[in-house]
Amino acid sequence: MDPVAYVILATILFCIGAVGVLVRRNAIVVFMSVEMMLNACNLTFVAFAQMHGNLDGQMIAFFVMIVAAAEVVVGLAIIMTIFRTRRSASIDEPSLLRN
Amino acid sequence: MTFPEIAWVQLTPVIIMLGAAAIGVLVEAFAPRTSRRPIQMFLTFAALIAAFVMVVINAGTFEVIMDGAMAVDGPALFLQGSILLIGMVAALLISERTIDPSGDAFAARASAMPGSLDERQFTARGYFQTEVWPLFMFSVGGMLVFVAANDLLVMFVALEIMSLPLYLLAGMARRRRLLSQEAALKYFVLGAFSSAFFLFGTALLYGYSGTVSFTGIQAHITAQPQMLGLLLAGIAFLVVGLLFKVSAVPFHAWAPDVYQGSPTPITAFMAAAVKVAAFGAMLRVMYVALGGAVWDWRPVFWVIAALTFFVGSIIALAQTDIKRMLAYSSIAHAGFLLLGVASVSREALAATMFYLVTYGLATVGAFGLISLVRNESGEATSLDAWRGIGKKSPAVAGAFSLFLLSFAGIPLTAGFVGKFSIFASAAAAGSVWLVFLAVLASAIAAFFYVRVIVVMYFSEPTEKTADVVMPSWATTGAIVVGVAVTIALGVFPQPVLDLAMSANIFVH
Amino acid sequence: MNVYIPILTMAGLGGLFALFSISIAPITGPKRYNRAKVDAYECGIDPTPQPIGGGRFPVKYYLTAMMFIIFDIEIVFLYPWAVYFDTLALFGFLAVLLFIVNLTIPYVYEWRRGGLDWD
Repeated sequence: MDPVAYVILATILFCIGAVGVLVRRNAIVVFMSVEMMLNACNLTFVAFAQMHGNLDGQMIAFFVMIVAAAEVVVGLAIIMTIFRTRRSASIDEPSLLRN
Repeated sequence: MTFPEIAWVQLTPVIIMLGAAAIGVLVEAFAPRTSRRPIQMFLTFAALIAAFVMVVINAGTFEVIMDGAMAVDGPALFLQGSILLIGMVAALLISERTIDPSGDAFAARASAMPGSLDERQFTARGYFQTEVWPLFMFSVGGMLVFVAANDLLVMFVALEIMSLPLYLLAGMARRRRLLSQEAALKYFVLGAFSSAFFLFGTALLYGYSGTVSFTGIQAHITAQPQMLGLLLAGIAFLVVGLLFKVSAVPFHAWAPDVYQGSPTPITAFMAAAVKVAAFGAMLRVMYVALGGAVWDWRPVFWVIAALTFFVGSIIALAQTDIKRMLAYSSIAHAGFLLLGVASVSREALAATMFYLVTYGLATVGAFGLISLVRNESGEATSLDAWRGIGKKSPAVAGAFSLFLLSFAGIPLTAGFVGKFSIFASAAAAGSVWLVFLAVLASAIAAFFYVRVIVVMYFSEPTEKTADVVMPSWATTGAIVVGVAVTIALGVFPQPVLDLAMSANIFVH
Repeated sequence: MNVYIPILTMAGLGGLFALFSISIAPITGPKRYNRAKVDAYECGIDPTPQPIGGGRFPVKYYLTAMMFIIFDIEIVFLYPWAVYFDTLALFGFLAVLLFIVNLTIPYVYEWRRGGLDWD
């Protein structure tokens, strides 16, 4: 099997994700973009596993899913806290970080 | 079917650390609120000490364990020991509860909204966020695996175990919580971004060699030099991911914001231990897995090292906030350390490890001192607040000056020995011009370190000058360790240099 | 082909029922508009910008979502193990046992700290 098409697709997905992280301002969208980058990695792993004829790549894809889920949990927690803060409490300290 | 043999003895430091963290979670679930804090503190320090003892007992081990997934060798054990030492000192800072009248450095309840009634109630009742301790232990456990990982998958998982708790810890500051939460978000987004790069690099290297084990990749590089495009792209992505973690230019933008916003004990831990772990992992990847392609990646490292120490030193000149200044200083230090990585020799490896220990312990001490200089709204980190602090508290100003001189690399401090040995090994590796540039950058850096010393000693205190709070024995201990190590390794560095030299071979 | 006929019939009936309900509802149903109907729908809770001035915010849904993610994901490891249960023998069994114990720890934590209380 020729993995080139899959790898090109994965690279395109990865780039879309990376650009999404860099240009979007909404935390949730940024977050989704990161997940998309991880999924692009998974596609690459699985395609290469098929090419090499070993199962390492497929097994790694499992681990990546787990890590992505853990990241989702931590990320959601952080985004939720900030979201609640910004929506409700007055911004009593305007000296936020630069940029 | 054969099953992998589990190397229980060699894994004990990791098992102790992560096991204690899991027990810590159970303590959170079952122990009554008032007794959680002492139990967690006991658990953390016991685990750190026990893991350190096991690292010392394992000293001299030189083998690949767990079917090649992890390596226990000189550099791994040396760096694990350093991480545990830095962890102990940082844990002292985390446990401090006397310098802030309302409690420790962490929000009483991280989930309560800043400025809300809930938050005031929780603070008034004197609650503590004891989840800090298990998170801290998980992070240390991840670091212990990170520096010993011998394949890219284990390394990726360890990277996440190390980073995820830190994202949460960064957002838990008691004072200036909006700043802290913003730091957590920034750290999380850029951290996740960089680990995606790391993972994509891993995927490409897997495509190149059909394996993720370091030994396998190395064998493939020496055996068949075709499909170079995949190899080079893989290295590029992998290195970008790692350079993000050590905050090298141009991937440094998160560091000042995150350092400034995080609770100071966590900043200290991040600045010191994450740097040790990330450089340890980077050394192993570059030397063991990608050593065969050294001529491809070395020039890039030279350029990035030079950019990093110049940008770090020059932007630090313009900073008016002590925490941000130390962040840029840590960027500059990352540049010097990259010089060590790019030199690819046993001497350079030993020099880099020595530099990491001295820099780490001095950094924890310096942030410990920053947490003592306060006004009514919390830590006073603007340079104006430090004006004339030498007259108010000679001890704090003296210790801080010592750390700054060590960061600047003035002789008779540990920083000088570290810098000298890295520069010497880089010169021996043939990059004399780069060493010349590095010395130039050190001179620029020395300028802003000395400027802080001048501000502390040679100007009169104004009404803006902050007060110096007397800490308990915990912070004092952390600072004393930093001072002692900085002086001892500056005057008499030979034993630790010898130790690093005896531990400078990676197992293949 | 014969075996698929009941399934196809079932699917057809389901589709017809859906079409029927959608088309009959606007004709027969009462049309009374109030604020709750035009509000954004957010899992049944009041929409988010409500706790102005620091009220409480029901985070239960997010806790449940996070919990779902964690426990949904464990199946990724359990499924391959179940398929190769015989080959993996005692080693695999002990490894998975350890994995499940580790998963139980955060579950116990969430349960004890009230993450599962619905109100």
